[in-house]
Amino acid sequence: MSDIAIAALLAGTVLIASTISVEIGLSVALIELFLGVVVGNAFHLDVPVWLAFLGSFAGIVLTFQAGAEVDVPQFKREWRASLSIGLVSFFAPFAVVGLVCYYALGWNHRQAEIGGLALSTTSLAVVYAVLVETGLNRELVGKRLMSATFVTDIATVAGLTILFVKPTIWVIPFAAVSIALIAGLPKLAPWFFGRYGNRVIEPEIKLVFASLFLLMWLGAKANSQAALPVFILGLVMSNHYVKHRKEQERMRVVAFSFLTPFFFLKGGMNVSAGALWANLGILGVLFVAKMVPKFAGVYPLARRYTAPHATFTTLLMSTGLTFGTITSLYGLNAGIIDRTKFSLLIAVVVLSAIVPTAIAQRFFHPHLEHEHDHESAREQPVAPMPPAPAPAGEGINS
Amino acid sequence: MPFEKILVAIDGSDCSNRAFAKALELAALANAHITALAVEGPLPAYAATVGEVEEVKREKDSFFGELAAQARLEGENAGIEIDVDVRPGHAAELITRVAEEGGYDLVVLGHRGHFVRDRLLGSTADRVAEHAHCPVMIVR
Repeated sequence: MSDIAIAALLAGTVLIASTISVEIGLSVALIELFLGVVVGNAFHLDVPVWLAFLGSFAGIVLTFQAGAEVDVPQFKREWRASLSIGLVSFFAPFAVVGLVCYYALGWNHRQAEIGGLALSTTSLAVVYAVLVETGLNRELVGKRLMSATFVTDIATVAGLTILFVKPTIWVIPFAAVSIALIAGLPKLAPWFFGRYGNRVIEPEIKLVFASLFLLMWLGAKANSQAALPVFILGLVMSNHYVKHRKEQERMRVVAFSFLTPFFFLKGGMNVSAGALWANLGILGVLFVAKMVPKFAGVYPLARRYTAPHATFTTLLMSTGLTFGTITSLYGLNAGIIDRTKFSLLIAVVVLSAIVPTAIAQRFFHPHLEHEHDHESAREQPVAPMPPAPAPAGEGINS
Repeated sequence: MPFEKILVAIDGSDCSNRAFAKALELAALANAHITALAVEGPLPAYAATVGEVEEVKREKDSFFGELAAQARLEGENAGIEIDVDVRPGHAAELITRVAEEGGYDLVVLGHRGHFVRDRLLGSTADRVAEHAHCPVMIVR
């Protein structure tokens, strides 16, 4: 199939995914991923070079957006309580999945690290959606949960950038430019966006994209991955976007209409349905290897910091989607894992987005849990707020 | 007095608009108090980005804000004072719960909503009719 034929097919698939998403109320990303699997396996399509490139850039844009969507003032208020939950939520599954992959499944250590990283994540978006629906995003429990998710995410992107680096001389310019952009862009943005922004030609989006491409290029030259500086760049820009909602909205329009669909389609197209079918046992092992340490590690802390919603909190911290997909795709593109391992990781990532969320909402919805745990909540109250809260700023998730 | 408190579910669909009009007629005839309940449906399940959730939430807030204003205006035009209640949640569950907790003696709603998901597990109207504590009028 020619490139243009593939492009037409995928554009139609993206359109169908959007309409299905609206009709049935499922996330468009999940449907794109699923349709990617269908299209890739039905037409036996290999991912063309242009799609691989577009998908890689979209992954970086998603990482930037994830950073920009963090509520920094809220995190500053809650970081003490959230740090322990977030770090345990990352390290427990990272260690257990890594060990299971290495010793039980016979993966080499780099493959085991990719497996551990991909399955250590917590989905900020899944958590956020559930918190908004339950109204918990306005309560202390929800704020702590969001901050903990951020900690897990930053640990994942740090692992992705640091674990796989094979230092060359290019590490120096990569680090220098990263620091310069992280320090400089928030200062440059108000002037640049004020002078050139609010135009249909979108110079502000182009400035961000140019910065991201520069980091991607230098990261590749340094044999590293730009995820960490890109995430932090998003983070330092988050305050700017809070004050300039329209800019963030336009950035999202560009990302959702043209970039992220190809990221998730690419992810889906690389999944081999046959490999999944042939390895259902391993799929189950990996799923359990993610869930058990998440639960064992997070639950005791959740009882201390997010009572009376400890089980609900723990289940939400066990979700994963975007960073799991980004990590798995990095492993595949870098030749660290093969298509079978990639397929298994993506399947577990998707399952981990759906299963714990569904259980949390069906059986541990805060209204129900509140009734069940009323007594224990009185015995184990939420740990007190850290002292000296920062001035309240309007966070995007508050 | 046959009906003193009427709860009408609104979502902006054609069916719901007809149900709302019928509820206004009934309220005028029975001199009943009427509450319009707009249920903001679920946010995208298993979202990949906070942006997707935020944008959908913003669209919903805007849509239901306009819907509430429109309902009030139509009530005023019909000479009936109505309460409008916009809440997030699961439509059938919320409608039956609000009807019971508020002591309503009639629920009025359209027979189907906007989207396929409204019909996936049986319609909202079917479920309300099955679980409501009071009479339910389903408008086609």
